[in-house]
Amino acid sequence: MTMNGTRGYYSGLVDLATGLISREIFVNGDIYAQEQERVFARSWLFVGHESQIPNPGDFFASRMGEESVILCRDRVGSVHVFLNSCRHRGMKVCRYDDGNTTVFTCPYHGWSYGTDGALVGVPFFREAYHSELDKSKYSLVEVAQLCCYKGTVWANWDASAPPFLEYLGEFRRFLDLILDGWDGREGQVELLGGVQKWIIPCNWKWPAENFSGDTYHNISHRSVDLVGAGPSGRSRRDYNELAATRKLHVTIPDRGHQTITYVLPKDHPPQAVYQNSPEVAEYFRHCEEERRRRPGANSRLIGAPGEVFPNLALLPRQPRTLAVWHPKSAHETEVWRFFFVDRDAPQQVKNFLRDYYIRYSGPAGMTEQDDMENWNYAHAASRGVIARRHPYTYEMGMGHAVENYEWDGLRVPGRVVDLTKAMASEEPMRNLYRRWAQFMEADSWDELMTWRRDALREAEAAE
Amino acid sequence: MSDDRVARLLLTQEIAQFLYTEAELLDERRHDEWLALLAEDIRYWMPMRRNVKYGDTSREFTRETEDISWFDEGKDTLTRRVRQIQTGIHWAEEPQSRITHMVSNVQLLQAKPDAGAPREVTAKSRFLVYRNRVETETDLLVGKREDTLRRAGDGWLIARRTIILDQNVLLTKNLTFFF
Amino acid sequence: MSDPINIRDLAVGSRIVLGSGAEVEIVSNPKDGVWLFARYLASADDPAIVGQEEMIFAQDVVEVRS
Repeated sequence: MTMNGTRGYYSGLVDLATGLISREIFVNGDIYAQEQERVFARSWLFVGHESQIPNPGDFFASRMGEESVILCRDRVGSVHVFLNSCRHRGMKVCRYDDGNTTVFTCPYHGWSYGTDGALVGVPFFREAYHSELDKSKYSLVEVAQLCCYKGTVWANWDASAPPFLEYLGEFRRFLDLILDGWDGREGQVELLGGVQKWIIPCNWKWPAENFSGDTYHNISHRSVDLVGAGPSGRSRRDYNELAATRKLHVTIPDRGHQTITYVLPKDHPPQAVYQNSPEVAEYFRHCEEERRRRPGANSRLIGAPGEVFPNLALLPRQPRTLAVWHPKSAHETEVWRFFFVDRDAPQQVKNFLRDYYIRYSGPAGMTEQDDMENWNYAHAASRGVIARRHPYTYEMGMGHAVENYEWDGLRVPGRVVDLTKAMASEEPMRNLYRRWAQFMEADSWDELMTWRRDALREAEAAE
Repeated sequence: MSDDRVARLLLTQEIAQFLYTEAELLDERRHDEWLALLAEDIRYWMPMRRNVKYGDTSREFTRETEDISWFDEGKDTLTRRVRQIQTGIHWAEEPQSRITHMVSNVQLLQAKPDAGAPREVTAKSRFLVYRNRVETETDLLVGKREDTLRRAGDGWLIARRTIILDQNVLLTKNLTFFF
Repeated sequence: MSDPINIRDLAVGSRIVLGSGAEVEIVSNPKDGVWLFARYLASADDPAIVGQEEMIFAQDVVEVRS
């Protein structure tokens, strides 16, 4: 990988040999500006869910990095993601949160675009433009790549990026945990109406590293545990089933995704959860039995906080939510939170879960509030001249991750830390920032797709 | 002035006094006394708001008990929120915020069976919640409330509160306080 | 010059007159107040255009006939 003296991520800012990471990465405006090009302009970013745009003409105004985009379904049913900016002078062509339309019209000079992005309406085209303007050159700017995966919509501005599933690599099964039904049927979730959007006064990487798998910060949430906001009236989550499992950190090093996960022993019966609601407890128990009947290893995995590089946090279990940490400035993040339930779940189950989600996550979430307080003031404290001379330690558990981890017959991909005794590690954060540094350094996606090079080398060696 | 008009005038003032007393309790951090003003079956709902096309008002607010809102809960959750603050280790409220609730534009909408001897009242008001925290963190939240109040002895209980905040993207990092 | 007309809520099937004097029938209305999709019913300037569909810009609408 190239080493650029002015950037020097490995030598100066992200030092994985020592596990020390500079505070600059959170607070430096130049680094933030570079991130927009180096990270957000060429990563796969989560844009929305297909259930938000079920019919032709449906649209949802979303974000990619700092920029406003339109997620829409055109007249023939194809999904598109466009930059929300008129090609003439840039005014937003969509200023509603969502809806249905046949055209996106700019209020400045009246240019109008179809839901497939084509420029269809240009006022005084014959008279003022003498019919000379080539309309086909001025469609709405469209993403280079788009992928619909089990209802989720992902987009990438970079045509040279690997396809989405290749980008995910072996992390895919963890994304499946939130998108498949509780009973294991593929892609059975629906999005609850209402996307929470709010602004937090810190850099986007604070929540990103937290959701990568901060197993050390339970003290942040002690007050929630004490008041018993969890779905069985105790603690903040149900821990019965977790007590029987192996708790792991799973990191996919060459992709930059990571997660906490819990692995159940083989043939382990479902544990009692959601005890505050007999309907939910019964639904869950039934789903768990179904899940165990299906082929595939996911029946033994319990989802927990995880992060798809760079800024998509997933929580497949309690609660069940995706969050996107949209960069707004070096010092501000706009969070968008999406909540999911099984499409086929009984209404009482959906109601119970919705209540739990609202009191757990988001700005009115009793748990998320304390995370945000810490991110807010940790960020603020990172800004000072003296503070910035002192890097943060991400040394916890360095050197203790293993490959080819296996437990009770289940093989887990990537580099894994078994937390049964260790309790916590910072392997996920090191993984995140290693990948971040690679993105900041790499001039092209060729340099970032190390797995392709490795595969080629292996093939050559085999000959 | 007619008896009915006088009764409405007095009732409106009584409701306003109740709302000011309630605001006083919250501002003074007397949370247990505030909880005692909530009916056991209270619904406390603050929908989120969308930017919608002119005339498409049905889509402007998230739906109670169907969609995700900012708040959509009952007394159990509200009590847990208070208990969380009272642990003294709810970091988002430790140290505690300094809060002032300003309540205005109190309007009596309906009194059942009548304004003379009401058992249940619906009232609207406007709020301005000023929250200052730690050193310089300041939030100003403004909007409308619609309340259903139920007669309880000489006083009232809040049976239902709908809070309409005039924001789309929430401009405060958290909602650790009450409206 | 005629008073401006808000085309946002004009019904499909309405007949309107354009600045050129041509008469068109609204085929669909995207309700953006800026454009209409319409079919030409009559045009003194260009009889060949009758029957064709075109996007009509708001500033070009001078009268609503029905």
